Amino acid sequence: MTRRRHLLGVIAVAALVGTTGVACGGSDDGASADGSVTLEFAQWWAPELPAGSFDKLMTEFTAQNPNIKVKLLSGPYASTKQQLVSGAASKTLPDVVGLDGAWVNDFAKQGAIADLSALMKDANYDESQLASQIQIQGKTYMIPIVNFVYPMFVNNDLLAKAGVTKPPSTRTEFLDAAKKITATGGNVKGWALPLDTAVPNGIQNDVMSWLWASGGTMLTKDGKPDLTNAQVKSTIEYVKSLNDASVIAPGSLTMKEQDKVEKFTTGQVGMVIDSLAHINLIKKNNPSLNFTVLPIPAEDGYTGKRGIPYASWGIGVADSSKHKAEAFKLVEFLMSKEKNAELSTLANGFPGNKTAVPDFSNSDPLFKTAFDIYQAGYPANEFVGLPKAEDLMRSFDEQLQLTLTGKQSVDDTLSKAQEDWASVL
Amino acid sequence: MNSAKLDHAPPPAVAAPETRAAPRGRARRLWARGTAPYAFLSPTMILIFVLMIIPIAMVVSYSFKDNVIVQQNSVFVGFANYTKVLTDPDFLAALKNTFVFITVSTVAHLILGLGFALMLNTPLLGNVTKAIFRIIYILPWLFTVAVIAVIWRLMLDPSGVVNYLLTTLGGSSVDWLSDPGKALWALTFINIWAGFPFFMISILAGLQGIPGDLYEAASVDGASPIRQFWNVTIPQLRPVLISMAVLDLIWTSQQFALIWMTTGGGPLNVTEMLSTYTYKQAFSSYEFATASAAAVIVLLLTMVLAVFYVRLQKER
Amino acid sequence: MPTSKKVLTRKRRRLGAKIAVFTGLCLGAAFAGLPVVWMLSTSFKPNGEVFAVPPKLISHFSFDAYTAILSDGAQLRFFLNSYIVALSVTALTLFVAILAAYGFSRYEFPLKKSINAVIISVQAVPPITLVIPYFGLVVTLGLYNTYPGLILTHMVFTLPYAIIMMTAYFNTLPKELDESVKVDGASSWTALWRVLVPVSVPGMVAVGVYTFMISWNEYLFALTLTRTDDMRTVPIGIQLLMGQHSYEWNQMMAMSILGSIPVLILFLLFQRRFIGGLTSGAVKA
Repeated sequence: MTRRRHLLGVIAVAALVGTTGVACGGSDDGASADGSVTLEFAQWWAPELPAGSFDKLMTEFTAQNPNIKVKLLSGPYASTKQQLVSGAASKTLPDVVGLDGAWVNDFAKQGAIADLSALMKDANYDESQLASQIQIQGKTYMIPIVNFVYPMFVNNDLLAKAGVTKPPSTRTEFLDAAKKITATGGNVKGWALPLDTAVPNGIQNDVMSWLWASGGTMLTKDGKPDLTNAQVKSTIEYVKSLNDASVIAPGSLTMKEQDKVEKFTTGQVGMVIDSLAHINLIKKNNPSLNFTVLPIPAEDGYTGKRGIPYASWGIGVADSSKHKAEAFKLVEFLMSKEKNAELSTLANGFPGNKTAVPDFSNSDPLFKTAFDIYQAGYPANEFVGLPKAEDLMRSFDEQLQLTLTGKQSVDDTLSKAQEDWASVL
Repeated sequence: MNSAKLDHAPPPAVAAPETRAAPRGRARRLWARGTAPYAFLSPTMILIFVLMIIPIAMVVSYSFKDNVIVQQNSVFVGFANYTKVLTDPDFLAALKNTFVFITVSTVAHLILGLGFALMLNTPLLGNVTKAIFRIIYILPWLFTVAVIAVIWRLMLDPSGVVNYLLTTLGGSSVDWLSDPGKALWALTFINIWAGFPFFMISILAGLQGIPGDLYEAASVDGASPIRQFWNVTIPQLRPVLISMAVLDLIWTSQQFALIWMTTGGGPLNVTEMLSTYTYKQAFSSYEFATASAAAVIVLLLTMVLAVFYVRLQKER
Repeated sequence: MPTSKKVLTRKRRRLGAKIAVFTGLCLGAAFAGLPVVWMLSTSFKPNGEVFAVPPKLISHFSFDAYTAILSDGAQLRFFLNSYIVALSVTALTLFVAILAAYGFSRYEFPLKKSINAVIISVQAVPPITLVIPYFGLVVTLGLYNTYPGLILTHMVFTLPYAIIMMTAYFNTLPKELDESVKVDGASSWTALWRVLVPVSVPGMVAVGVYTFMISWNEYLFALTLTRTDDMRTVPIGIQLLMGQHSYEWNQMMAMSILGSIPVLILFLLFQRRFIGGLTSGAVKA
């Protein structure tokens, strides 16, 4: 009965196709027969560090904790985020996750990441050594491991060529310097403003930073939006005045952060607000670029402490992890005085452990300058811990774009953004 | 069981006149004949059911719930998410942009594809020349969308090579991707570049399938090449053109990565498409319920195209 | 003499037409090819000079980007993964599509039209809308971060068009072809694989090239359904070169050039059959 046999064959193949891997996949809880545990650790840090250095740290961790192995799941920032969102939705987050302050609130609310306060208590961990903790409703969900500050990067040669002798310290001086740089001609512009809405971080790093640098705030004390206050208004009016003076590099409405760095590196833009982490990158791509870092200019006459925007590599533990205690061991390891200092030095950031002292001896002198700026001011990033932070930035971005293209007044922009934010916060 | 015995029996002749077959054998053959097509289709059906129908059902069920995924206890809210999406001006703008984007892309693909295919099919040039051109023409097809986005961003950058050429030739530089008046057109242009080769190849294949005697007959009748084009080529190509156009509309409406990596929907939402809108709802606003509702609406709209396509197929 | 004059004008006209077509082809080639030329040129530049003003086609010619890609085990792994996935997808899609196409082309059965409609409409499902539930499903099936997961996913997207093309191709082959073998006592299975398939090679090449291209370049699911570098494919590898803060322009371009070479070779080898396969039936789908 060959035909029937063949038909059965077809069905068997069909079943096989349908089920391939169902059998061979299977769920793996990370525990193996010898009692050792494998932690999965998703982050975007390894690709940004010198090649192999993060793996080396993980090997050291396993050497200290022989029964805990770490499997690194590394990807770029944007795809790490997408994977974590998908993972959180299906309760399959890796045991340990790298977090950005802008994601914490949403993951915590979904119950995707674990309450670290409880884990710290279980481990008798001394919280006082932590420089900061990101809390939602009184519970810690993320611990910043390394912080990156965003000072103003300036191209010394372009400033000199434009005849600016004193580095700009106030908004007026900055506008003036930007105009002079733009006047040197060619494609050179004074400043770059990345407003791409796919990753709307520019609102945090390049727009609100002006507000924080003058001690301003975009939220009320109880965390409600306060976008119509005088300081926010003067910030947006200032950004608009830079735009009206045509000192901003063209293409800003769809410019991405990478483009901003690129333009500063190639000398097409004289000044940008950028992460300190980029010093090595800029030097690698253009060794002859003569640049320095400054505090972000403040409102004329402002004498208070300047807020300096920062971003963090934060760490959290998945709520679905079966090995939370082991996962916290890894957190402790990365936060330990010695290792935290080592990682910060590698990353060109500032340590999340107060007692850790980064090693300035081998790093760039600009790093020391930035550390002084950092210590003279205070870290400021009001987006950290907000729900739907990226969405808030995006809706503000869309309104700001209307102002910059002359389609809407500053007041309208702020009141509309206020309305958008009020529905979320 | 007699099946064991039957295994040794000579294979029954399928095409034998049915009157001669024993009633039982006939029933079995009919059964086999009746189930055979399902057996042949079963791998496809299982795959599509598990990996397509189930996820679609899940999306549909999400779209009727509130706070789905982000909260453990989501509730049924009826059509609330649909009302929310359909009254969102951003969604309506995305709908309009998508419409412009897919129709302009498809029409351009059709014109370019047909034009290039006609030139590549010309008897005037040698085979080697044509083969070389054919390879140049399919080049855009070889690259993954991430690279297409990056190379065009690089070239269309305000200080990129395109503007350099433009200014050297006396024009003024243009912010292709960030000028709200131009971004949608620039993006559509990129998509035209990326998508025409498959269209062209299919039309080329269609052209080569037109019997030569139709043209001979036409030229005996004294028809000029232009008349031949309208009276022979176009009617003969009609089925290919229509089905490629429908497929292209469907495929272009699904374009996500290209838009996300070039403009991200900006500036001023002028390049916001249904795909980027849905993505933002899900991955940035964490509104999985409204994202699903938007997804279902998109699905229904593309289904209209699919139904049209099925109709076309049945006509033939 | 009137006739020779006619021949002369016809010759001249022919030459004119030839020049016109050639110019048209060159213009089209510029449209299609210049971005690729710029891609090539970028891949040979040091990273710092990508944005040099004025832009140069060739500045400091270097193979550094290519050496960097080819000497990096992780990058080569992306290529290996892409081959494994794309070749498996092509083979499996062909196998499954041939079976389905045979069913559609040679049988009449009650649900034929509805099943056909379902398969066609599956093409209309926008992948982006399925990402979230799909991810959960793949995790539940234990297929997350595995080759089968990626292969089966790509198949769902390649199958519909492959079945449409294959069915159309089989429809162009006379039924007598396989019926005659069946009269001799062969089963439909034998008729399909021994008779129909061997004469369908051009159609299979067309379907195969199409499928391979889709799978080789697929981006969204390759990104979502993998999480370790040992499972990721070339498009994701290229994306990994775009860091959070900067682009490795030259390496990205070098990798995409390297990635396109196998597909180019595939097309070079099969272009005649590919177009032929589309011609004899498939485009009538």
